[in-house]
Amino acid sequence: MTRHTRLVMSMIYWAFVLYIFVPLALMVMMGFKDSKFIGFPIRSWTLEWYIGVFGNSEVMSAFGYSMVIGITSTLISLFVGVWIAVLLNGRGFVGKGVIYGLTLLPALIPGIISAISFRIYAQLWGVPPGTGAIIWCHAVHNVPFVVLIVSARLGTLPKSYLDAARDLGADPLIAFMRVTLPYLRPALIGGSVFCMLISFDDFVRSFFLGGYQPTLPVLIFAKLRSGMSPEINAIATVVLVLTALLGIWAERTTRRLKKGY
Amino acid sequence: MTKFKLNRRTFLGTAAATGAVLASPAYLRRSYAAGGEVNIWTYANFVPEDFKKQFEDETGIKVNIRLVDDQGKQFNLLAAEASNPTVDIVTVAGHRFLQFIDSDLLAPLDTGRLTNWGNINPVYSESDWATINGNKWGAPILSGMEVMAYNTDVVDPEEAKTWDTMFSDKYAGQTAYVLQDMMSIVMLKMGYDGNMVAYMDDPEKAAAIVAEARDYLIEKKPLVRKYYDGGAEVQQMFVNQDIVMACAWNGPIAALMNDGFPVAMSIPKEGSYGFVYTYNVANNAPNADNAYTFLNAILGSGEIGAAMTKASGFISTYKDASQYLTDAEKASTSFPEEELANMKFFRAEANKMKYELVDPAVEEIKAA
Amino acid sequence: MSGKVPSGAAALAGKRSAENQTNDGRSFWGALAGSDLYQAFSDALLSSPRRQFAILLTFPLVWVVTQHLGPMLQMLYVSFVEAYPVAPGYEQSFTLDNYARFFGSAIFVMPFLRTLVFSATLTFATLILTYPVAYFLARHVKRSNQMIFLLLLLIPFWVGEIVRTYAIMILLGNNGAVNLALKWLGLVDRPIPFMYTGFSISVGIIYLSALYMLLPLYSALEKLPRSYTDAAADLGAGPWTRFWRITLPLSLEGISSGSTLVFLIATGYYATPVLLGGPSTTVFAETIAGFFHAAGDEWPTGAAFACLMFVTALAISFAFGRLMTRLQKGVRK
Repeated sequence: MTRHTRLVMSMIYWAFVLYIFVPLALMVMMGFKDSKFIGFPIRSWTLEWYIGVFGNSEVMSAFGYSMVIGITSTLISLFVGVWIAVLLNGRGFVGKGVIYGLTLLPALIPGIISAISFRIYAQLWGVPPGTGAIIWCHAVHNVPFVVLIVSARLGTLPKSYLDAARDLGADPLIAFMRVTLPYLRPALIGGSVFCMLISFDDFVRSFFLGGYQPTLPVLIFAKLRSGMSPEINAIATVVLVLTALLGIWAERTTRRLKKGY
Repeated sequence: MTKFKLNRRTFLGTAAATGAVLASPAYLRRSYAAGGEVNIWTYANFVPEDFKKQFEDETGIKVNIRLVDDQGKQFNLLAAEASNPTVDIVTVAGHRFLQFIDSDLLAPLDTGRLTNWGNINPVYSESDWATINGNKWGAPILSGMEVMAYNTDVVDPEEAKTWDTMFSDKYAGQTAYVLQDMMSIVMLKMGYDGNMVAYMDDPEKAAAIVAEARDYLIEKKPLVRKYYDGGAEVQQMFVNQDIVMACAWNGPIAALMNDGFPVAMSIPKEGSYGFVYTYNVANNAPNADNAYTFLNAILGSGEIGAAMTKASGFISTYKDASQYLTDAEKASTSFPEEELANMKFFRAEANKMKYELVDPAVEEIKAA
Repeated sequence: MSGKVPSGAAALAGKRSAENQTNDGRSFWGALAGSDLYQAFSDALLSSPRRQFAILLTFPLVWVVTQHLGPMLQMLYVSFVEAYPVAPGYEQSFTLDNYARFFGSAIFVMPFLRTLVFSATLTFATLILTYPVAYFLARHVKRSNQMIFLLLLLIPFWVGEIVRTYAIMILLGNNGAVNLALKWLGLVDRPIPFMYTGFSISVGIIYLSALYMLLPLYSALEKLPRSYTDAAADLGAGPWTRFWRITLPLSLEGISSGSTLVFLIATGYYATPVLLGGPSTTVFAETIAGFFHAAGDEWPTGAAFACLMFVTALAISFAFGRLMTRLQKGVRK
């Protein structure tokens, strides 16, 4: 590749970063605005909103609650999603297309319909509204995304790898654990990030399936009713920083664990 | 407010189908009822923090608040828990009573148990919508009005005296409104009853009126910048200077005024609609006695009403709330007498007929 | 990462090299495979391909039928009934009216078609925009840095949709950052009305969709062996030819899954088009949600419309998937 194309490519990348980050920068900035509304001009600045977030146990507990829901539902989605992806990428069978279609279903149903039908459906199973119901609904909703992402990677797994393992006497389960799963690692990471994001951002399902404890988006919606204030921007910023720190910490820990082997 | 209509059949149905199965978390109910508690579903800022603390200290009753963000969702939740709700007090807009009452979600309010009932301005507590089936159903706390809001740097107060300005070429591309609400106002502006109560026996006339209002709004569609939905949106449009004029609820606009933005509001001469938020005791509430204790306490003084107004931007229904407001706060939550005379309250009697006509009309305007 | 895979297979034969990181793995898996209990389990369940397949199939089958199909059937059922939820004592009756309503008038067909065209266009735009980004990441960034660069792009998605959308409003508003900058530079006198147009919706939605496109593209490009393009270069192929003949065809898988994902999700976007759109940009999700939020007795109609959108979107992505498979087969030949 010539240096010329490389330059163009990197410019596009950084332009994209700019596009992604400018709204974000505005959001962070507006959290410092001394007014009840976001927008220009900013006449005076304050730290009050940011300080308020940390003093607000409501926000912090909603953040923690959203995290718990996100992580749990992601783990379930990964387990189910990988299993389905392995089935769909295996040999052909009657009805494979049908299962593929069914797998994608939850991604296609508009949120409000999925939320209401799920609330009624959950009751058929005797699951009361609350944490369990939210996790369940998020997990089901995220399975198709895991399947799509994992399938993309699985489709490129050279058959020879598995054949080699089988020739060496591994049964399918062991071959899967030793060969397929490590190969899927990037897709699993991508899938988890994805599921966490969707779960963390979900309002309508959490609202209909939840109880008295609000998830973060539910809390923000309630606050939004009295206007998009710098307070909400400050909350979003703090959450962003906290999540980033958690992410870095998780990355470090996995790295250290790997080195420990 | 028009978003929240659901007719009787749906209400009953929702209540029955989802309620019967969804109401199961009995263990939740027991744990709530065991201590001295009161469970409230309400909007952010509707229970002042200071009041809440004082109330908890004085009575030993713990106040649990679940925030809701619109009436429709609150209804769905309550319907889902119907017959055995976990909640004691809900916050219903006055013109939605009928539907809640029809589905047996509210208990009649025993005003005899509220020694402070007299602190409410009779304009609200004795209004035509307040009594249904011979009973009172809620304690009015805050009121909102559909106003014409305008940027005072651009629009002259004289121009804000008629809704026609909203549809004039002069402000093309700089106006915004909620379509459903505008339908009612356009009908009023054309000299009809926007509540449609007058046409309950004459569906053909009603259909003709809705069609006329629809055609007017389609004709004026090129002039509007945005059909919006929520208060936060209209505030942001004013701040961003995307619009200079809007039809809006007074609450969000009052908040803008109090923050120093050059915005003002008026009730144009053709008139406008208003509604009242009330606190209601849920039917079969787990802690009904505590609910009455809470209601009586919150109606206790004009100062509490003023605190609610300050936090929410809505108009207090308390007789003497205004004496606790600053001049700026008063300006943002009060109107001249001659403007107030043009105010009408939304009414629910004809809602089924009205929205069977208005909803398709709104879709047609959007698609036009 | 793919480098570890052959070593995994090799480890089973005991040929693994000393510095291989999966040292411990062998003893664990070896011990497990050798244990009587596991042997019994393996013999009972994994001994024949048929049994293996039965096990592989059972769980997904049960899951998709109970978890994915169940709520959907609920919706399908609702779309064919007269009233829902039905009051006790009333007889439920089935009807096709809910579907007939859609075809009955142009007011619903318009937003429907608009949504399809819009979603397809935006999917394409997102693809064009993110492909170079994914390419740059996968091919030009040092492998050890790739994760950091990728995570950098993912950070903004941790901010909720609503907060992000309001940030776009103060970016594009008449008094927003872009207009203020243009005015300051002296490029315009009067602000350009970006907001509440197709443009502002696109900015908002590409923002939302980029992630769904970026990840599949990246994972497809990341595993493309660099030796292929190097070999082509040795044979004298120019950069354009190399891209057109090698990189693009071999990343079709990623393009296919990314586009499918973005298209399907884009047909369901609600909050962003509602907040950023104008009077004439109503999307179908808004229409559907209207039947659930606003209109009273209209759940069945809403459900019917949702089914229509769903079937159409699925048919389109199916056709698209077919096309991509055919293209890929062509490549392999």
